[in-house]
Amino acid sequence: MSGEQASPGKAEVGDDLPEMIIESVSAEKMKTMAALLGDPNTIHWDVDDVRRLGLGDRPVNQGPNNMGYVIDMLADWAGDPANFRRLKVRFLGNVFAEDRLVAGGKVTAVRPSPDGRLVDCDVWLARDGTEPVLAGTATVLLPG
Amino acid sequence: MIPVEAVRGLVGRKLPGGTFDLEHYRNWLTNDVIGSPQRSDDLAHPMFCYYAAMGGMGLSIGELFELAHSSGDEGPMFGECDMEVREPLRTGVSYEVRGVITDVKRKQGGAIGTFDLLTFRLEVVAPGGEIAGVCTNSFIFPRKA
Repeated sequence: MSGEQASPGKAEVGDDLPEMIIESVSAEKMKTMAALLGDPNTIHWDVDDVRRLGLGDRPVNQGPNNMGYVIDMLADWAGDPANFRRLKVRFLGNVFAEDRLVAGGKVTAVRPSPDGRLVDCDVWLARDGTEPVLAGTATVLLPG
Repeated sequence: MIPVEAVRGLVGRKLPGGTFDLEHYRNWLTNDVIGSPQRSDDLAHPMFCYYAAMGGMGLSIGELFELAHSSGDEGPMFGECDMEVREPLRTGVSYEVRGVITDVKRKQGGAIGTFDLLTFRLEVVAPGGEIAGVCTNSFIFPRKA
């Protein structure tokens, strides 16, 4: 995070995207998502099972939720979720209930497109801002 | 351990496919879970490229694990996701989903030991026939000796 902070109007290679902070991941919202997805994996809602599996004593967030935080960071910067184009990520670790997360990124390329500029970025999500739990690349459109 | 040939034989297998109705309540609840702003228009959260793909592929997660000769008890994990939105997804739209298994690799990992990395590609197709989104997922299936 050593670059200048990128403003959408003049994004340049090396600029940092404004970070998005999730102050505390909610265990209750993991239950909502489990029901929405029909996800039978107990680690998202049954603390006894989380303990039995040796994963600690807090529910484990769904991986797609973690992608969602990164997309929101990108959409916030690009001005609208409709400007999101692509996200490619690897899952590196678990996120637990009550974790504080920081989503961030850095501009790696700016390309012309018929609708404006396509901006490629390295992106990441980290527990407490230091332990990466997700990393990858993304593309957003800056219209104009 | 399941022979790698049995798993590699899945490459090229088409998934049943189906449809995904992107209902307003799903989008509202998803925004609430992720912490995204609620909207007054029909633009869905971009994550619906993934949710629609997985929800309409014609297999449950458990059935996908079975197809890969595994089960939830064996600790399969979501390894990678590549999600491309070509046209923003909208609430109130029913999307067709079609998919195929594109790759299987057997690997060795430090803590996991032997595992198979199974990759499948899902297309989310709008009512007019255009591909609105493409979601390529890789799952990790640990293999016990």
